[in-house]
Amino acid sequence: MSAVLGLERPQVVSHVQQALSYTVFDCKWVPRSARLMCLGSAARGTGIIQLYELHGARLEVLREIEKPKPIKCGTFGATSLQQRFLATGDFDGNLNIWNLEAPEIPVYSVKGHKEIINSIDGVGGLGIGEGAPEIVTGSRDGTVKVWDPRQKDTPVANMEPVQGESKRDCWTVAFGNAYNQEERVVCAGYDNGDIKLFDLKTMSLRWETNIKNGVCSVEFDRKDINMNKLVATSLEGKFHVFDMRTQHPTKGFASVSEKAQKSTIWQVRHLPQNRDIFMTSGGSGSLHLWKYEYPAQRSKKDSEGSEMGVAGSLSLLQNVTLSTQPISSLDWSPDKKGLCVCGAFDQTVRVLIVTKLNKI
Amino acid sequence: MGDESVPYFLGEGTTKTYQIPISHLDYKFIEKCTDVKHLEKILRVLRSGEEGCYPELTLACEKRIECLDPRSRALRKDKPAATASDFTAEEWQAINSELMSWLSEMNEDDKKSQLLRTDTPNERPDNLPPIRCSSSCPPTNQNKNLQNKQRSKKNIPRDYSEWDKFDVEKECSKIDEDCEESNSKARFFCRPSLPIIEKKIDTTGMTKREKIFIATREKEKGNEAFATGDYVEAVTYYTRSLSVIPTAAVYNNKAQAEIKLQDWDNALQDCEKVLDMEPGNIKALMRRATVHNHLQNYQAAIEDLNEVLSAEPENSMAKKSLLEIEEKLKGLKPVSEPQGKGKKILIEEIEDSESGEGREENTEERERRGGDKSCGAAAAARAAAGEPAMGNAHRKSHGKGKAQQDRDAHKHKDSAESGGKKGASKKKSEKHLSDHEGEVNGYLRSDEKSESAEAEEISTPHGEGSQSAGGGSSTSLPPAAAKLKSEGNELFKSGQFGEAVLKYSEAIEYVTGLGEQSPDDLSILYSNRAACYLKEGNCSDCIQDCNRALELQPFSLKPLLRRAMANESMERYRQAYIDYKTVLQIDSSIQAANDSANRITKTLIDQDGPSWREKLPPIPVVPAAAQLHRWDGGSLTSENKPSTTDINREEELQMNCEEAAEKFKRLKNEGNDFVKMGEYEEAAHKYSECMKLNTEECTVYTNRALCYLKLYKYEEAKRDCDHVLQIEDSNIKAFYRRALAHKGLQNYQASADDFNKVLVIDPNVVEAQKELEEVTQLLHLDSSAGDGSQQAHGKKITIQEVSDPAERGEGPLAAAEGAEEAEPKAVPRRSSQKLRVSEPPNAYDFGQIINALNASKDKAACADLLTTTDPKTLPVLLSNKLEGEILLLFIQSLEHCIAGKDPGLAYQHLFYLSKAKRFKVVLALLSKNEKEEVQHLFDLLTESQSDQYSLEDLESLKKVYEL
Repeated sequence: MSAVLGLERPQVVSHVQQALSYTVFDCKWVPRSARLMCLGSAARGTGIIQLYELHGARLEVLREIEKPKPIKCGTFGATSLQQRFLATGDFDGNLNIWNLEAPEIPVYSVKGHKEIINSIDGVGGLGIGEGAPEIVTGSRDGTVKVWDPRQKDTPVANMEPVQGESKRDCWTVAFGNAYNQEERVVCAGYDNGDIKLFDLKTMSLRWETNIKNGVCSVEFDRKDINMNKLVATSLEGKFHVFDMRTQHPTKGFASVSEKAQKSTIWQVRHLPQNRDIFMTSGGSGSLHLWKYEYPAQRSKKDSEGSEMGVAGSLSLLQNVTLSTQPISSLDWSPDKKGLCVCGAFDQTVRVLIVTKLNKI
Repeated sequence: MGDESVPYFLGEGTTKTYQIPISHLDYKFIEKCTDVKHLEKILRVLRSGEEGCYPELTLACEKRIECLDPRSRALRKDKPAATASDFTAEEWQAINSELMSWLSEMNEDDKKSQLLRTDTPNERPDNLPPIRCSSSCPPTNQNKNLQNKQRSKKNIPRDYSEWDKFDVEKECSKIDEDCEESNSKARFFCRPSLPIIEKKIDTTGMTKREKIFIATREKEKGNEAFATGDYVEAVTYYTRSLSVIPTAAVYNNKAQAEIKLQDWDNALQDCEKVLDMEPGNIKALMRRATVHNHLQNYQAAIEDLNEVLSAEPENSMAKKSLLEIEEKLKGLKPVSEPQGKGKKILIEEIEDSESGEGREENTEERERRGGDKSCGAAAAARAAAGEPAMGNAHRKSHGKGKAQQDRDAHKHKDSAESGGKKGASKKKSEKHLSDHEGEVNGYLRSDEKSESAEAEEISTPHGEGSQSAGGGSSTSLPPAAAKLKSEGNELFKSGQFGEAVLKYSEAIEYVTGLGEQSPDDLSILYSNRAACYLKEGNCSDCIQDCNRALELQPFSLKPLLRRAMANESMERYRQAYIDYKTVLQIDSSIQAANDSANRITKTLIDQDGPSWREKLPPIPVVPAAAQLHRWDGGSLTSENKPSTTDINREEELQMNCEEAAEKFKRLKNEGNDFVKMGEYEEAAHKYSECMKLNTEECTVYTNRALCYLKLYKYEEAKRDCDHVLQIEDSNIKAFYRRALAHKGLQNYQASADDFNKVLVIDPNVVEAQKELEEVTQLLHLDSSAGDGSQQAHGKKITIQEVSDPAERGEGPLAAAEGAEEAEPKAVPRRSSQKLRVSEPPNAYDFGQIINALNASKDKAACADLLTTTDPKTLPVLLSNKLEGEILLLFIQSLEHCIAGKDPGLAYQHLFYLSKAKRFKVVLALLSKNEKEEVQHLFDLLTESQSDQYSLEDLESLKKVYEL
């Protein structure tokens, strides 16, 4: 019987749809709770942080906080499970950390970038990732900066192009490889299709590539393991999965690419409970659920005897279309397998249930 | 169909996008094209509608692509999110209740953690690692400079070129000078070969929830690493998980990973820890047995396996390993005396156990997924090699207990079969293995599977017993329950299913309350209630009730059918398929089951691809006693040996048949498509292929006949029609097409006859009327042209039709019925001529001949017919067409022509005639004169003695004839 059920495909159920009065840019589950945050921009040009709680089949607003600047992105990645401080990046280039219990003034605040912070990620908190809690921000000003909430005003690392070289808009950043106190990498994706991998331990640019189209979203399958896989999505509907275990001296990392749809893939998020399953959200309001299958052999020796990776294959588990507008943000609940939230430009946030994930 | 031919006729030209030749937008082209890319382009053109809208063609194109490349992106379509209607009520409820319980759990947790927060206001600041690049540097002079440098650099951000210039080794060595860590070895490109991962997680200040959360995550990481074959990493993560919260499951997983790493000592320790926590944990016992086996503690391994078997007597894996180890022990003992040989054999044994292990692991999924392909292949090869060894083990064990022999032999066969399959196709086993994804090991699951298969087999004798018992006893419901039941039945008939359910439930309660009631009544009640549920659309309850009914009364048809329907509507196609198959084993003539099984086969193929059958759970073997004996007479004897293997083979045959059916359907559809396009030659070819698969399907023959007609191959067309009419004696299409064929062959009489027949069956066929008029005119022309020539014509046809006796018989009949100027004189001669040729093959032809003979009262011809006919087949051939006149004709011809020559045959005919349907009625209606005729025949038979019957026989037969 179990084998039979195991072959059934996961289904995506739209559990709650909540219309909002503002444009939502990011939504995040609050760890260890049934609450979620929606971050966005109100019509009059201010920033909105809304805290919702899931009550059965509806969302209840617990708190609404208005801030002067529209908020683009947020993360809980660098906070402890007890504190659950939210770090946000806004249109003005400010990085703020909020205590949601007392949101009037930020716990930490820095004018990190000259322009909008497009993307933010955290590591070292929530028991995810060894080492110091750190936040990375990527901005339109072309810089990627790593922050330690314990250090005021200045970033602990800053990565920006050589003076004179044109500054590219950094659209996405992600932490990875944080499996012990020393190792840590930051991956950044830019509007020209560049992907750069910075090693924070050696403070070096470890690897770079170009996927030809603007990189909308990058994510490691897990932040807190010896880096395993990286997914990068692009403006033209393609996404690439890199096997990050084996780096070839010249060829870099092996990858497999797949085209989900014609429109932009805005987001990719790995299932926190299974690193080989991830969801991509598309410009046409669709969601695609994928599974990565490893090849029989993950690395091989090339003619010169150096190790090179072998990419696996991808299979589409399910796809649904929820909206006519792009789905710009996506987040899996870290606590409940299959529960996820997504925000779309039709000013709607949806709580989804993906079934049968444990049977894949 | 007309629209599709439009681009076809447009001829040359290309589509606007992609410049595909228009002629490629065609069924025939798409059917033959193997270039997926090109097909995808065609599909895009078709979907865009720029060359016109052809939904059917689009569909055909999609199907073709799916057939060539099921993962093609062109097939992906937008779908809305699933809603409640996509799930059964049960599933939907489960989804919602799961979420609700999680929500309430979270809420509770929230309150608690708020309390906790006031207690422990701050987390552990001292545990946090230092801030990057600042406090990590010891305050020496040298480093101060560096620090300052870095600080200053931070203000002017570093650019990429600087990143590259950054001398890592130097910097690192500076920073880590005093540290013991050898991080300086880390080079620019290479990661450290073995990543240093903390084996412990600092959990000070964590709440219990958090600990559980972290422990679970570490375990998940371990499982993922195990899945990719990184066993060292897996062990590390399991250790981390255990450092937070030690659980049996994680120890167990760790043990498995350590077994993979051949780290026997640690594996043993971990198994023991599991068993400390959960005594009797089957997986842990199995694993400890494996470890003991490798450490050559055979006695301990045997103890563990015995413990497994006492808990799960059907655990085949344990049985196998037990046998292997016992074998080893046996091999070891005698050898231990002569020391020299001992070593050699020991080595062999290690190898042996290795291969055994290989097979064992073969059934575990991770091996394959993690290991590289060559390793997997080796494992499969080893498994195959291990098979004969195991066979030997089995064979030897037979010597031990004769009582077990039968069972063992049976199992041995099974295992050998499955083993052979596995060995033969690695792909297959891979598929099978992938079923177990998601769990760290497959022991339990695969065991359950094999167990269930065995359980089915064991249950069959029970089924047999109860079935026969059930057959014997009639309903003995207590009156109250019987009343409730009949009320329920009434309600059901009137469509009030809800109320009927209540009645049945009451009845069930009443009956179960009484205790010792007969199971079959209860089974019927459950089955009836299941029917109500099914009607209401409450599939899950229906299945439950069917299950109960089947527990009480295994292999009863109705609950099986109902469960199958319920499963089908719940889209559990596999279960439904199994149930339908079981039903068909019991009674192969249930059309609904047949149709549904075929339908599901298609769905399953769509769903799972060509290997869908491997994913099916085993189909229970129905005991012979439960099978309905549909075939009377001779065929019954052949069915009287219901050994399991026979049935298995039958099943296999059945499966083959089904595959054939699939293929058949496909070919037929292809043929139909060709017909639509006017490619009659091709179509006929396809149909011919169909016939190789199935000779019984009439439509294929009629279709091919049509093709032949179009191709002016009248002979062939006629032959096909004849074949159809042999099977189906009133196939209107066959008559019509044969008529056309006859017309084409200028055999107008036969043609007219056939048209008449068409009009008898359906008087509204205008084409037939027109054709008939035409043919009769032609007939007139012909006959006026000269009697001689027509005779010659007739003769010619007789030669052609030698192989088909039915033909002639029916011609005159139709003539007598419908045509005005039939030639009665010619009729008997013709029919008798042909009657001599061979016996009629079916009831229809026989009936036709008899009718013709009856019209002419031709005793001689009838006698001929009877001599060629096997008396035994008489009841079948007559079916329910026996009439007084026919009986009389038979009696007369027997009396005058046969009894004299061959009294034995006459007796046989009389005997079997009495077995025909309607015999009693016909006999009762015979007039006095006619009875005398019969009496006369019997007298004749009494006179002319034969060794084929005795006088007593004759007397008893007389009684049957009421003389």
